[in-house]
This record gives sequence, structure tokens and C-alpha cells, in this order.
Amino acid sequence: MSDKPTDVELAAATKATVDALEPLGGVLSTFKDMVSVTVPKEHVVEAVRLAKENGFEMVSDVFGIDYLTYPGHQGKRFTVVYNMRNPDGTGRLFIRVELDDGETLPTITHLFKAANFMEREVYDMFGVVFEGHPDLRKLLTPEDFEGHPHRKDFPLGETPTLFGEGRFLDPAAFRAGLIGADPGLTGWKGGAAKGITSEQDFGQGAGMEGKESGKP
Amino acid sequence: MSVKDLGHAATVTREEQRGQFETRYMRINVGPQHPSTHGVLRLVVDLDGEEIVGIKPQIGYLHTGFEKTMENRTYQQCVTYSNRMDYLHGFSHDLAYVLSVEKLMDARVPERAERIRVALNELNRIASHLVFIGTGLLDMGALTPFFYTMRERETLLDIFELVCGVRMNFGYFRVGGLYRDVPDEFFPAVDQFLETFPKMIVQYERLFAKNDIFVNRLKNIGVLSRETALDWGLTGPSLRASGVPLDFRKAAPYSGYQDYDFDVPTYDAGDALSRMLIRIDEMRESMKIVRQAVDRMEPGPIRDPDRRISLPPRSELENSMEAVIFHFKLVTEGFHPPRGEVYVATESARGELGYYIVSDGGSMPYRVKIRVPSLINLQSLEPACLGGLFADMVVNIASLDPIMGDVDK
Repeated sequence: MSDKPTDVELAAATKATVDALEPLGGVLSTFKDMVSVTVPKEHVVEAVRLAKENGFEMVSDVFGIDYLTYPGHQGKRFTVVYNMRNPDGTGRLFIRVELDDGETLPTITHLFKAANFMEREVYDMFGVVFEGHPDLRKLLTPEDFEGHPHRKDFPLGETPTLFGEGRFLDPAAFRAGLIGADPGLTGWKGGAAKGITSEQDFGQGAGMEGKESGKP
Repeated sequence: MSVKDLGHAATVTREEQRGQFETRYMRINVGPQHPSTHGVLRLVVDLDGEEIVGIKPQIGYLHTGFEKTMENRTYQQCVTYSNRMDYLHGFSHDLAYVLSVEKLMDARVPERAERIRVALNELNRIASHLVFIGTGLLDMGALTPFFYTMRERETLLDIFELVCGVRMNFGYFRVGGLYRDVPDEFFPAVDQFLETFPKMIVQYERLFAKNDIFVNRLKNIGVLSRETALDWGLTGPSLRASGVPLDFRKAAPYSGYQDYDFDVPTYDAGDALSRMLIRIDEMRESMKIVRQAVDRMEPGPIRDPDRRISLPPRSELENSMEAVIFHFKLVTEGFHPPRGEVYVATESARGELGYYIVSDGGSMPYRVKIRVPSLINLQSLEPACLGGLFADMVVNIASLDPIMGDVDK
């Protein structure tokens, strides 16, 4: 969060919760009107339960952040944030947990049924496993998709995307097919880019034979 | 779920049934291509005869990776993506996104820009509710209301076209203000709409809201009690239909919503009928807000004059070197918000919508997490459907109003 904690005036309910979280090792940080408490990994369920008892009875969201390439970041790689709010929507508290690659978190689905999809999304996007989750499957990416796309080291474009069952898409080859450098995936070798009109190419299988056949 | 867990007739084991009718649970697949699923929602449903004993939504068919894309675009460019998620209430996503960045930048949005934002956001909410009512009734076999609601929505889309040049996927809001001022034709068009629309609502009410067939079809279907709705994280009109008056326009006002006089309608029953009717009430409240916003609109600037955020006016580019430099830097590189993490909760037509933005001081967001209402609301389909009839599932999907672009991001 911010580089230095500021002395903002905390609302009474927030203050009580923050005080209750302090014995668990909670560290307060604020930025503008956002109040966050970073708690150790082993106390996360206890922290969420305490927040629930102190009035932050709803979990709005659970999401992950990958600090791998964050400039000057010290500490563990991932942060999972629990976005808690009170039922009338006026107060909000962010509970943060830091964890490294391969570490797991206990689930909070027994406290909030709403956390089901949220934790599944974190698992899908970051590969963080939630122990005790009743149905920890991927949420948004296809079943045969490998990898966790919101990790900062997940390849972004121009890199072959590997699906299971032998499905394989190489964007570079795909693009080469579009600009005519290569027959590509469809066999279409981009005649238009080389000045070949459809009339000339017509009847020759639209260039399916190979590179040489479609010469002007 | 095994046969033994399910109570009443289901507790009879296979052995006991030998010689009798053998009953077993049927697992069927609904969607993803199905007219009643409002997009590409796939449901795996376990049925005991006609009764639903298990329902699991399978989503992700529209997953486009907007969050990841936004991490690789400048802050101003991201407005292009935000409205594409909830394509029926696009202004809500635009507003939620720019509010978060403005909080990060400490931008001061001019009053006229805020009024225009609120007016357009509320008009868009009406348009979204109109589609909800039209398609919802279509799912129940009532074809006619769809044509009526689409007729009024058409008027609204024409207004949006006047303002932004497009009918959906607006990209009209900018960090610090708006892309351009509204044209002069905007005001008579809104006036005319506000004059005719109340009669149309009365017409809808006569057509279906007070129609016995409609009421009896929806009454006590998919009941979500107050506790269930809160436990499953429901927000928005669907939650207010269960008796919780949570509306972020009132609870945590943004864009000057605290200045407007409007009510938050609630219903206590929590059934599909309440979830349908509350949208009609909300359209009336939205009209009130639009009326006030348009009436209070004073001429003035529509962008934050802060040169860190806003492009310099076109006229200055001809005689100011400095303006050209600012223009070049803003267009090619964008602005650099300070390091920090912000979240602003807003009220979309579906519920709590907010962008959690992590800034590392660069010109592109380090991480964008979108708290989309439809995704979380979709979980409530399970408590609403369990124990009900299969035919009521369609009603429940319609009444919870998920937009699959919003669910899958």
C-alpha cells in the first residue's frame, strides 16, 4: 500500500476491528480513505471471522495481486485481498494476506457462501489453492487451458498457447499466415498482400498446395 | 450428491426399490447456447422428476481477459474496455473505472461533467431495466412486452448516439471529465423522453405488472430470504427485493448522488415477482434523478483543467509549444498516477460494481480487479432454484438479471 502510514481518522467501527486484529499480528496501512490490515497467513480465517463479528459482515470480493514485477516490492510474491464491508455499505475494510508461490490458504467459504466463486477465481487466475474449499475448480478459463493468466510471468501474446488434447495455437505462425509469409494454419498464404487477385488464384485450391503455386 | 442425502422418496435405496419403479436422478445440461440463458450460461442441473436437486453454473464462455488487457493499456485507453463487459449498462462500468482513477489522481471533475455523467448513467439504467423486463417476460412466453420495452429503449439509444456517436460500448467518459460536451439536441430529446416515459410505465403495469397470469406465475418462485441473500453476497435490485435497502448511491455517494432527491424502493417477499416489480419502481426513481440532473446543469467546463490528466484545448495547440508537448506526452505515454491502491464502490443496474486499481507509478495500471455484480449474483441461482421446478429455473435466471459479459469479464 502506501509508503508510509498516514494518520487518518478511522471510523469507530473500523477502529474497533483494527484493534481486534492487532493481537493476530495485523499491520494497519491506509491510502486515501482505504483502510487495509495485513495479517499473517496462518491467522487469515480468524481475522476474517473477527471482522465479521465486528460489523464487516459481508465479503464483497476476494482477489489476488501478483507483485512479481512491482518496482521496489519486498516480501512475498502474491497478496490475496479480502474486500469486507458492513451490510449498509458505508464502511469497508481490506484484509490482506501475503504468500509465496506454492503456499496455500485456508478457505472462508464456511463463513461466507459468497466466497465460493471468488476463491475459485483466485485459484484460476493465480494458482493459489484454498484448502477446504468444497468445489475448487477453475472458474473462467477453459478446462484444457494450462497456466494461471493473471500471474505477471504468464506469456502475453506472440507465445504459443498450449491447450490440452493436442490443441495448439502459435500466434506467430497465425500472423505469418495472415500477412502471407507462410501458408499458416488455414493454408491461405495472403495472396492479396502479394498482389494476387482472387481471379488469378481461383481454381487452384486457393493456394492450398504450397508457397510456390500462387505466383503472379 | 448421492441418492441417500436427498430426503423423502429419495431415501429408498436401490435394493428396496427392486420390483418397484426404479427412480434415479437425471443430470441434464442447459446451454450454453440457449435462448433463456441471456448469453452463454451453461447450467448442469440434477433433477428428481421435475424438481431441481442440484444446479451448478459453468461459466467462462465469454471470458476475454479484460483485466489483463487493461494492465497493458494506458489509463485513458482503458475506458475503451470497461464498458464492453456490461453491454447493457455500459456507463456504469465507465463511471466506476474513471472514479477509481480519479481518486488515485485526486482529479477534480467539473460540476457539469458530473451532472452529465449522472444523467447518462441513470438513462442507461432505465435502458438496462427495459431489456431486463422485455427479455425476462420473453423467457416466460410473453412475446408482446418485449416489443414495447425495446421501443422505449430505442429512444434512449438514440439519445446516447446523439451524445457519444455510438449506441452501445460508449467510451464517453474520460478520467477527469468527458470526451466532449453534450449537443444542444440532447436536452429536448431527454425532455421528450421524460414526458412520454411515465405513460409507458403505466402501460407496462397494465400489460403485465397487474396481470393475474404474470403475478401468479411469479409469486413465491425462487424465494431468497434476507439472510440467504446476504449470505450468498447478492447485491443490487435483487437484494433490495429481499428487503435490504442497500444502494451505494445512498450509502457511499459518488458523482454528487447525495444532492439528488430519490428513494430506494424495497420489497419484502424476495421472490421473482418482487425482483421484477422493483425494476419498474427503480425506473421511476432514475427518471427523477435524470430530471434533477438535467435541470441543474449549468454551462461550464467538462474536463478537469489539470494538465496532468486532460488534453490541452485544440485552440492552444496552434500557438503554444508547451501545449503541444503536453498533448504529445499525454497521447503517447499517458499520465502517471502516484503509487497506491484504490477502490470505489458504485451501484450498477445489477449491484455493487467497483474497480480495484493497483498503481505502480507507471502510465498503465499494475493490476485491475473488477468487482462485477453479475458474477457474484449468479451464485444466488443455487438457493433460488433448489427445491423448485425445472420450469421455474428460467424465471429465476431472468429475475436475477445476469449479463454474461459482466459475469465472465
